[in-house]
Amino acid sequence: MHDGRFDPSGFYEFNLTGGTVRTRAGERVVVLSEGVLSALVEAAARDGDLTPLRRLGELLGEQVLSGLDRPASVLSAEAVLGHTSAVTALFGWGRLAFERWGPALVIALRDKPELDQDELGAAALLGGMFSEISQRQVSCVPTGDSKFIMVDFEVAETVWGWYKDGADLPAIVGMLESKRAS
Amino acid sequence: MSNREDRLRSLLDKVRAKRPEERTTHAAEALERIRTASGTTAAAVATSSPPLPPSARPTPIPSSLPTQAAPERHPSSPTSRGLDSPTRYSSQPPRVERPLSAEPRAQSVRPVSVGPSSAPPAARRAESIRPQSVVPTGQPVVYATDPPEFPRPKTFGDLLELTLSLRPR
Repeated sequence: MHDGRFDPSGFYEFNLTGGTVRTRAGERVVVLSEGVLSALVEAAARDGDLTPLRRLGELLGEQVLSGLDRPASVLSAEAVLGHTSAVTALFGWGRLAFERWGPALVIALRDKPELDQDELGAAALLGGMFSEISQRQVSCVPTGDSKFIMVDFEVAETVWGWYKDGADLPAIVGMLESKRAS
Repeated sequence: MSNREDRLRSLLDKVRAKRPEERTTHAAEALERIRTASGTTAAAVATSSPPLPPSARPTPIPSSLPTQAAPERHPSSPTSRGLDSPTRYSSQPPRVERPLSAEPRAQSVRPVSVGPSSAPPAARRAESIRPQSVVPTGQPVVYATDPPEFPRPKTFGDLLELTLSLRPR
């Protein structure tokens, strides 16, 4: 890990005698089919409680941080993306990529499991993962086409409302402006 | 030469004193020999004058200087042949006559018009080549004295700060 690259070898430890699967960090994981997971996520989205998925995202974030020799904030976006996409792929959550839309950072997650129609399950997973990676509370709001805009959790509801009202990603970015003190 | 003339003149006086008839003939012969030897008649002309004392003779002038005032020569005529070894100064290259064996070259003068043109030659000659003025556009010219600064690659923390600062307008 010290060369900046993610090493997937030995990531899982299969204990056939004990009937367990663990990551190399010691976290026990369960292999589920996409269909079963989709039903569970769909039910959680209806109840409005996606905490388990967010917790799963944090678990993935911990795996990412365990592979970094420095805080993610000081690393290049490419380096962070390399580790994050590798961990995401190892857990079977699809191909992850970064996109920059003006000042906005957008996460693209291709070939992800089909969980719920509004993609709130994937949004919760990504939110939990990047909150763990950045050590800050962030929200990833679905904007369609398997893309999620990363915003502060305080404005997540507003952005989600724009998307539900029919605004696409360029329109959403256009309705936002940076309030960062220069 | 002058000593010899003195001796001859003294002998001639002695002869005149002895035999007046022969003295004319011998004197004439002696004068003739003197003329032949000196190449000039100046010595014979001076025979009538008495010899001058040594103090009265002119001081010999070195031969390097002319005994007479040389005719005034124009300084710009270095090719004057009045000097034995003239020093030539000239700002112009020496004239070198070309050998006549070289064949004369015909320098062709080509016409100005190029290619078949329907325009009359007179109209073409009327065209003059003029410099085309370049009018300044008024836009300032920026001269860069410092090397261009390339933006620092943004870290993941930079991108995160930027996107988390977004707020509704």
